[in-house]
Amino acid sequence: MIKFWQRRVENSIVTRHLEFDKDLEDIKKELKSKIAKKFAGSLAIRMVSSGSCNACEAECNALSNPYYDLQRLGIHFVASPRHADVMLLSGVVSVNMYHHVLEVYHQMPQPAYIITLGDCPLLEGVFKENFAIKGADSLKLPISHHIRGCPPEPKEIIRGLLDFLEDFM
Amino acid sequence: MKQIKQHRLIARFAVENSDNFEVITIFDDEIQREKLDKQNPTLMSISPKYTTATWFERKIKDDFGIKIEGSYDNRPLVHHERFPTLNPLRKDFQDRSLKFDDFTPYKYEVVKGEGVFEVAVGPVHAGIIEPGHFQFSQEGERILHLDIRHFYTYRGIEKSLENTSLLEAREMIERISGNESIAYQLAWFDIVLQASGVEYDEKLKKYHCLLLELERVIDHLTDLGFIPNDAGFGAALSFASQLSEDTRVFLKELCGHRFGFGSVGFEVKEYDKDRILDFLNVLEEKVRWFEDWIVDIPSVWSRFDTTGTLNKQKAKKYGVLGVVARASGKRVDTRDNLFYKKHGFVLQNETVGDVASRFKLRIKEIYNSMRLIKNFIDEPSMVKKPVKFCDGEYMSFVESSIGELFVYVKLKDGVIDRFYARDPSFINWQALYLMMKKDIIADFPLINKSCDLSYAGSDL
Repeated sequence: MIKFWQRRVENSIVTRHLEFDKDLEDIKKELKSKIAKKFAGSLAIRMVSSGSCNACEAECNALSNPYYDLQRLGIHFVASPRHADVMLLSGVVSVNMYHHVLEVYHQMPQPAYIITLGDCPLLEGVFKENFAIKGADSLKLPISHHIRGCPPEPKEIIRGLLDFLEDFM
Repeated sequence: MKQIKQHRLIARFAVENSDNFEVITIFDDEIQREKLDKQNPTLMSISPKYTTATWFERKIKDDFGIKIEGSYDNRPLVHHERFPTLNPLRKDFQDRSLKFDDFTPYKYEVVKGEGVFEVAVGPVHAGIIEPGHFQFSQEGERILHLDIRHFYTYRGIEKSLENTSLLEAREMIERISGNESIAYQLAWFDIVLQASGVEYDEKLKKYHCLLLELERVIDHLTDLGFIPNDAGFGAALSFASQLSEDTRVFLKELCGHRFGFGSVGFEVKEYDKDRILDFLNVLEEKVRWFEDWIVDIPSVWSRFDTTGTLNKQKAKKYGVLGVVARASGKRVDTRDNLFYKKHGFVLQNETVGDVASRFKLRIKEIYNSMRLIKNFIDEPSMVKKPVKFCDGEYMSFVESSIGELFVYVKLKDGVIDRFYARDPSFINWQALYLMMKKDIIADFPLINKSCDLSYAGSDL
């Protein structure tokens, strides 16, 4: 383990992204203050995949890598819908997932918000309604915000969360 | 019924012709075709001999309504509790929306006995992963049996691709499974070339293989972080996730998309060769440091060693693929051919078949993939975009980061008549329960992650 700390001292903080360093820093700063104001410093997200190709999940996992490190802004991906403020819904809402998504929503404490992630849920992308695909509209639940992209990049997800916080109140 | 020799089962699926159903069974050295009458079609099961035929046959039953005889498992596979009784892959089924049926409970395969209890996990999991259900039979902490139920992400891709042209089909094929997107595109491209009779340009092939290896490096790096993380060693995740993010950004720089969507085409543009070499050198140094560091963490290896063992005999019996097979000492890799060997491919092997083997194998494969990438660097090139495709049946094999991917396309009147893809996960999922026999339930996430199977790919 000593090796790890040595390297850590040599490399100092890596939490930055060369390309959009400044841009990202601005977004993050704004995001942190919005979350502090509107969610008492902690926004809990429950990620639900309802038939995606797993690229959206990979990008959400990337959000917790040291470059983006969303946790230090007070955004947490939580393990249970009962701990969540927001349901982040990816995928086409397949026939086999339809009732499970509804159940997750009803398990969430109110007020609960839904953010749809990627082109799939609103059927804007390649996948259209068919016998196995229902789409998020069929759930008849209020959708607070939508993040576009196939899949949206981590930076776009962060930007989307910021837009959500700006819009909804 | 004809006696079938014990070989490796690759796929078993049905095709609807105008006057019969045809069940195609693909082994590693032969293809068998059985024609079934349209009135009351019945198929003899081969699952007593080939265990992994079970899921294939259950899928055939759901998709086409073909009765399976002599099978010990007749539960629905793709169709869940509220799925109405219909067979969506038959040609006469054209409904675009589906009305839910009444709830029919699914019977899980469980062990019964005094003190034995069940643990149901999923379909919505605690982490950020895809949906799937795991039903454990437990004796205290020890796992007695695991019944896996998937197909929650079933999107009806096979049916959606029917009656589209081969060129249009690409957008959906590349989105079957995000972490294997480039592998799926290569299979698609291979079929496009076969159907149009255009020859694969060597330089173009090298570029495509370069992308495939880059995808493999990204997937393996991601796992190098997540496997120790599931053993409670988070520092590895924060280090390895940096490397996989670096590589993903690099993939975007090279082909314009972080997952390589739309990157396999008919043309290679000029790219910066030195940039690739520089990137790989830096990456290799970091991976070597990572390896050197993690081999010295005893708490990680005490969780890895002997956990989730799949011995070679079982691996052979189930015909498992990819990383899982090679970690158990089974030499199976689609890349084991002249073209790859010429560019420095060496088949990587481990022997024990536990989590530690799969982890070490991934590190070895990263080095080999980086070597391959360096040798695949070449000049720009292009082939003419084909417009005319010959009708017929086409098959393609590609080694994705999970294992051998098989894609079948039947063209009729210039459009796709039947599309079938067998993701390596489809076979490996069926062997997953074997790895649990000696372990406790807390080891499950670790074992599952060490195989890193795709849900979306196997569900289609």
